[in-house]
Amino acid sequence: MNELLAGIANQVLLKGQFFVLVYFLAVNGWYMLLLVSSLLEMWRHMLLIADESRHLLLSSTLSPTISILAPAFNEESTIEASLRALLALQYPSLEIIVISDGSKDRTVEVLIERFALVPVKTIYEQRIKTKSVRTLYRSSTYPALVVVDKDNGGKADALNVGLSFAKGELVCAMDADTLIEADGLQRMVRPFLYATDVVATGGTIRVVNGSEVKFGRVVKTRVPTNALAGMQVVEYLRAFLFGRLGWNRLGGNIIISGAFGLFRRESVLAAGGYLHDTVGEDMELVLRLKRLSYERGGPGTIAFVPDPVAWTEVPESLKVLGRQRDRWHRGLADVLWRHRRMLLNPRYGVTGLVVFPYYTFIELLSPVIEAIGLISLAVGLIFRIVDWNFAVLFYLTAYGLGTALTAFTLILEDLSFHRYETFRDRALLFWWALVENLGYRQMTVYWRLRGLWKFLRGKKDWGVMERKGFTPLAARSAGS
Amino acid sequence: MFVEIALLVLAVAVFFSHGLWLFLNQRRVLALTETARESLARLVNRGTINVEDIALLRQLRQDVQETVFIEVSRNLTGAGKERLRFVAREVLLLDRARKLCSNRRWTRRLRGARVLSRMDVADPVVEKLLADPNPAVRAQAAEWAAAQPSQPIIATMLTMLADPATQARFAVQDALLRMGGIVAEPLAAFLETHSGPPAESGLRVAEALATTAFRPAALRHSTSDEAGVRAAAANLLGAIGDAPSAERLIQLLKDPDSHVRAAAARGLGRMQHWQAASQLAEGLRDSAWHVRRDAGLALRSIGAPGALFLRRALQSDDRFAADMAQLVLDLPEAAAAG
Repeated sequence: MNELLAGIANQVLLKGQFFVLVYFLAVNGWYMLLLVSSLLEMWRHMLLIADESRHLLLSSTLSPTISILAPAFNEESTIEASLRALLALQYPSLEIIVISDGSKDRTVEVLIERFALVPVKTIYEQRIKTKSVRTLYRSSTYPALVVVDKDNGGKADALNVGLSFAKGELVCAMDADTLIEADGLQRMVRPFLYATDVVATGGTIRVVNGSEVKFGRVVKTRVPTNALAGMQVVEYLRAFLFGRLGWNRLGGNIIISGAFGLFRRESVLAAGGYLHDTVGEDMELVLRLKRLSYERGGPGTIAFVPDPVAWTEVPESLKVLGRQRDRWHRGLADVLWRHRRMLLNPRYGVTGLVVFPYYTFIELLSPVIEAIGLISLAVGLIFRIVDWNFAVLFYLTAYGLGTALTAFTLILEDLSFHRYETFRDRALLFWWALVENLGYRQMTVYWRLRGLWKFLRGKKDWGVMERKGFTPLAARSAGS
Repeated sequence: MFVEIALLVLAVAVFFSHGLWLFLNQRRVLALTETARESLARLVNRGTINVEDIALLRQLRQDVQETVFIEVSRNLTGAGKERLRFVAREVLLLDRARKLCSNRRWTRRLRGARVLSRMDVADPVVEKLLADPNPAVRAQAAEWAAAQPSQPIIATMLTMLADPATQARFAVQDALLRMGGIVAEPLAAFLETHSGPPAESGLRVAEALATTAFRPAALRHSTSDEAGVRAAAANLLGAIGDAPSAERLIQLLKDPDSHVRAAAARGLGRMQHWQAASQLAEGLRDSAWHVRRDAGLALRSIGAPGALFLRRALQSDDRFAADMAQLVLDLPEAAAAG
């Protein structure tokens, strides 16, 4: 009997390993397709933007008006630098709306002091139900600046309040601590000028950790020496440059980073704005816009601009990073569940038949498969069911191809925008690309599994995101 | 496994060798650009031909040559720019750009058009690109046309207001605006004979120019079947701001489309047409929020008569009208003007 059980266990483990191996090959094969697609897309994009004169857009009275919505919650250490950078953005018709989402620190006081804010009344239409607005401020020194102080209701609620006050044809949703490149909006608005069916655009978000920041601008790009931040640089490059850019060509973008995205205001309002009861509100909105375009008609293209348009600070502690990844995965699961009707539904075209299955079976379930693979490998080795040669082959196949793909993403960055210029940065980038498979990736599997588990248990908390800040106020005050 | 290792090694080799190439190339390009700038400055400032400088610029790599000429071109006008064009011809930059404009590949045509556009070269080869199959090339040619406001080019540009590509249409509208008053007469004639989306694009350009020459066309389009066209016509009438325009705008306050009614209210507010105060006060009872807001703001901008109607509306049995009137009256002066 024992021998029979051992035989079955043996077969299950071996076949399971092969299944996992085949899954990894299929996933990496798809990634390879995305890489080729992103190479072609990048080639076309670089030809199009070479010597492009964006000053025409800058001085044109026909340029679409943009309202920037910057929700802030307890951002007193970074809000001034971020806002000064926003006010210096190169765009002709710009309105900036900072929404303090019931901040408990001195965020609003800092804004009042530094930007000469005065309370005002205004007329706005509340098309989406939100928490109460306490006070509306306008700056007496910067006419384009509006600050809304409201009761706490979460990021989605803050963005919905911003949508009600916005006057622009386009709205730019961002995190208050995101650093936007001076010409970032000019780059992001391009797809809206090129086609009428564009409903939203996203751009490449880079990691700011380790880089030199002055007056809210990244003046020198450096790869961080901190291992966690360094490996996230590689991750971000991979996600944006071959993930989203690759999907751009295949017509299947459904993610726009919550850190920085540009939307057609009327479409977002018509769709009902951001959802409150999800932790993946940015992806949910994009997928809803896409879905509604199939159901009701109207603009539905989600365009991705590969230009590096914004910078964000990534967590440097395992605890915070774990919480972030857990939340991202819960968000993904929640959004896919809410829109499950789209899965393999021909009514939703490429999104239903290709993109949705990809996000379900590859993005959502990959940590499950990866965990099964790793655990059964360990069990197999302990009980000598799997031999070491197979284990090494498994590991190298599973992760080696991924590393090679990452390496090609780094080449793609180098051939296009080459922001990391020094030998030190290149060496560090490669180093982080190699070592991310030795522990870091396995930790992300654990965090994502935790997120999945929490989703199944119905947890919807955000967790606390701690930030170091680029230019602390104390340092700025001392320097000024 | 061996394939993976080979791929990885290849990637490392490409990544680092490209980095090294970039480093060396940047140093070389910097040095070349500096020398070229000096040569070009000598040629343009002195106005005499120095054979050595010409030879140096001619031998430059094409990309460096283009960069330096375009960079200098941005800061020159009149005689200086003419001298720059002369030097560009001498170093064969313009010939090469012309050839690129006829290339089979659209990316090359785009590059050629960009060079000729930045150098403000009036050349029929770019004019032909206004009909290019690629929208990016057409848009670039339209950008070039902004500095070449001849009647045939304006006529071609006007037909492009119906361009199916948004990118090209935006560039055409922008170029027509940059051409200025010279466009008014042909645009007015165009608006007389066209309808639908091309007319809507044209009305938007006309609104920025806002001369009475557009009034007949605006009046005609204000009766269009398409709400978008009627709204654009209302905006234009508001910008023209004369008595016949005001008369028509008052009628448009009763339009079935809310965006047209809102545009009419804005127009009447813009021209501070106090005679329309009672009709605007009716707008405070409109079913659409944005019409109520624009009617309220228009009343506020009219001055004393408008304020009187707003105060009266506070007692209205329509609570939406009373609420909007209160909101508008509560606005500070600067916000109401804005």
